[in-house]
Amino acid sequence: MELEKEEILSAIHHCVKCKLCSIASFHPNEEWLPLCPSGEYYGYQAFYAPGKMEIFRAILEGEITEPSEGLLNSVYACTVCGACYEKCKQITSVELGAPDLFEAMRREMASKGWILDVHTSIADKIEETKNAYGEKYEYKVNAETTAGDADVLYYIGCTARYRVPEIADAMLGIFDKLGLKYQVMGEEWCCGSVLFRTGQVEAARELVAHNVEEIKKSGAKTVVFTCPGCLKTFKKDYPDMGVELLHSTQFLTRLGNMNLKKENLKAAYHDPCHLGRDLGIYEEPRAVLSEVADIKEMKREREQAWCCGSGGGVKSAFDDFALWSAAERLKEAKEAGAEALVSACPFCKRNLKEAAEKEELEVYDVVELVNRCLEG
Amino acid sequence: MNETFSKLVKELQAIVGERNATDDPAICTSYSRDQHWHFVPAKNPACIVRPGNKEEVRAVLMLANTHKIPVIPYSTGINVRGLTIPVHDGSILLDLSRMNRILEINPEMKTATVEPGVTFGMLLEQTRKYKLRPAFPDAPLTVSVLVNYYLRGIYQTSATDGHDHTISYEMILPNGETLKTGSRALSEMPYFRYGVGPDFAGMFCAHPGTCGVVTELTAKLYRLYDNRKEYFIGFDDVGTPTKFIYNLMNDDLAASIRLVDNQSWLKGIFGTFDYPYEKLPKFVLCVLIEGVDGIYEAKDKLVRAYMKECGGQVLELPAEFARTFEDECLGGAEKSCMVFGIKGRGNYHCIGLYGPLTLAAEYYEVHEKTALEVGIPQDHIHFYIDPIYSFHGQLCYFELDVFYDGSDEEFGDKLRNYNEKQFHRLLDLGIYGWFRPYAGIIEPTAERIGYLAEVWKKFLHVLDPNEIMNRGKLF
Ligand SMILES: Cc1cc2nc3c(=O)[nH]c(=O)nc-3n(C[C@H](O)[C@H](O)[C@H](O)COP(=O)(O)OP(=O)(O)OC[C@H]3O[C@@H](n4cnc5c(N)ncnc54)[C@H](O)[C@@H]3O)c2cc1C
Ligand code: SF4
Ligand code: SF4
Repeated sequence: MELEKEEILSAIHHCVKCKLCSIASFHPNEEWLPLCPSGEYYGYQAFYAPGKMEIFRAILEGEITEPSEGLLNSVYACTVCGACYEKCKQITSVELGAPDLFEAMRREMASKGWILDVHTSIADKIEETKNAYGEKYEYKVNAETTAGDADVLYYIGCTARYRVPEIADAMLGIFDKLGLKYQVMGEEWCCGSVLFRTGQVEAARELVAHNVEEIKKSGAKTVVFTCPGCLKTFKKDYPDMGVELLHSTQFLTRLGNMNLKKENLKAAYHDPCHLGRDLGIYEEPRAVLSEVADIKEMKREREQAWCCGSGGGVKSAFDDFALWSAAERLKEAKEAGAEALVSACPFCKRNLKEAAEKEELEVYDVVELVNRCLEG
Repeated sequence: MNETFSKLVKELQAIVGERNATDDPAICTSYSRDQHWHFVPAKNPACIVRPGNKEEVRAVLMLANTHKIPVIPYSTGINVRGLTIPVHDGSILLDLSRMNRILEINPEMKTATVEPGVTFGMLLEQTRKYKLRPAFPDAPLTVSVLVNYYLRGIYQTSATDGHDHTISYEMILPNGETLKTGSRALSEMPYFRYGVGPDFAGMFCAHPGTCGVVTELTAKLYRLYDNRKEYFIGFDDVGTPTKFIYNLMNDDLAASIRLVDNQSWLKGIFGTFDYPYEKLPKFVLCVLIEGVDGIYEAKDKLVRAYMKECGGQVLELPAEFARTFEDECLGGAEKSCMVFGIKGRGNYHCIGLYGPLTLAAEYYEVHEKTALEVGIPQDHIHFYIDPIYSFHGQLCYFELDVFYDGSDEEFGDKLRNYNEKQFHRLLDLGIYGWFRPYAGIIEPTAERIGYLAEVWKKFLHVLDPNEIMNRGKLF
């Protein structure tokens, strides 16, 4: 979304700096539950939504003219998780969401060259290899079950291809076990999410054009994503391709009874920010998970879920902070009596899993459990 | 940033740790403005320092005092009066939010001792385990308990709890000395306000960071009763309900009594815009009663008897309204802050003052008159009365509110104009005092208080001879 300067300033002026966006709804349970990972971790006002808005105002009004370290840190050590906005919206009905503002802020900064080296290096990797991790392009799929003329196309995404392949494997396993015809893209390029989220919009244009072209050529009617970041990017930043875009859990709920063998597992469900707050998909992942495990409710859920800490370019640039945020989530899952923390996003899984290295808590993506519980 | 200052930041970092002091311009910018920016223009502090304990506070103050550097104490920064926005160049903003320990909850003494970063939400989470609560302001429950009580405010339950919840505190002065008030000065028992000699706690209270830094404060807690009931009574004017308010106060019947208008605070009190508030009478008196078995029923009976003859209309409202009102009164303001979302009028300006209930109608009249005179439309003019225990002098808090669009510069001019006229008019009409002393209000007032103003200034000079403590926010 392109925002006008006047619109942005007007929204910023309406922030009363009450900081209610830093905690989850207090009533009726009367528990003090922080909501903003970046503010909680770094502490200075600049890392909370109202402070960041003030910085944006000062950039637009020409008061900030240099990319100081504090500027880069406060702006980019924000997971753009949108939790602040969900809370603010409940009480203020403000007309512009903080994540949109913060992305606009990053675009403004990127246009001045005020960007982190680690984020430009991701752009370089993408340019070279067409994926965000700079890996050599290859991903093997089972040639017997993929079909070039299938109506359903599974867009795997960089993270599930190169960092958490167990998610891609599980999704493909589900297709295979259910005997569903599907295709994957011969040349799947990064969706551009990381570029959009870090303000490098120009660098994403070629990727968008390529992926749109490939999907059109495929003739698929439905594109399924295990990555909510990719799904959000396709929905919000891509032109309408006339195809249906679904998250894996939406796709699976639609299939109806899959004859799943429920496990004796207590699992907490972690709402990925892009899936929940950005796309409003809260029910389907829970519906699927409840078929395979007993769900344990955590204190901060749905609109007010605590972010895993990896989004918005944070994992690549501020890994300590990302892992701290994930560890907070793991604590909450344990408090809820869960044996496993289940998400529906490769980004969340990767960060949570890393933070859980020394924990007695399993971390899964919901498709992994579904694949495990499907009669093979 | 000049070299001397960079050296100073290094010294500050040596005190609080590298991570907790910075002169980064962007970080400083995030502290440069609050909701009062039409009246207090944005200005960056020169650096932010975040001490983690009182020894660090002391060391920072002594360093600042030696170099005569202005210091602005900041606990949660939500004061809506520009009180933590620097006046002078080169100020240190002392962000105390890391000091957020609840030092004691003493259910037998009905007290809590807290550090500056403890918010109302944090405190209630713990006190409710003992069926106790703090007295809640209408301020968001994210504000500092210590500062709110130290500044002395106005509370949802002022009708029963009064407006002074401070028992004793500990303050660090610019010269590094520690000043303890009340019984705290004599013993480990901080539970009595008037320990030795004069009411020192009262003397240092209500200063916007202009004496020293309060590092811990012991406050009163109040019982949470299971028996509760609410009544909402509508009136078309401000004068009619005053007799009813008098009766309720005179017989100590209600925990919360607030007369609000149906277009602003009422929406917040009920936590939703989704109701045709304009169909209600213009003013609504919200009454909450509570108490132990026996007393509660007796209070209820009397309230109902007074209600019959009050000249108002008892309103039948959705049950969830009563629930939200109760939550906010006895559990802290969260949904009340929904008033920020009133379309095109979400920013809020008010003049808060103390005066007798007998002048209620006149305060409203002068509010309306001045607002209309400076071009503020009728539907932006709001009002609110909160009577205060135990009603000697018929003490009430009055709030003359204007809700407006903060992005509208012209409206800002109107409000400045309004303030200029209104301060004088109210002083002419007769008030007991202002909600809190702050710049803009204190100047016209100081002219009228005779020698007291001189004594006050001398008193501050004794505590802070180098004038480093948030100067410009008072005199
Ligand atoms: C919507 C809204 C409604 C409100 N309604 C009410 C109400 O009904 N009743 C009420 O009482 N208040 C009300 N307030 C104001 C509220 O009381 C203040 O926001 C709050 O109590 C003080 O602000 P703070 O705690 O954020 O302190 P800060 O903003 O951090 O500080 C306020 C002042 O105290 C000084 N200070 C800060 N810390 C210290 C310290 N440790 N030692 C010495 N000085 C210090 C600062 O320098 C500054 O001058 C309302 C505010 C809002 C936003
Ligand atoms: S973003 Fe919303 S909730 Fe947060 S401080 Fe501003 S107005 Fe309050
Ligand atoms: S988007 Fe998330 S991390 Fe960023 S300010 Fe809002 S709550 Fe904090």
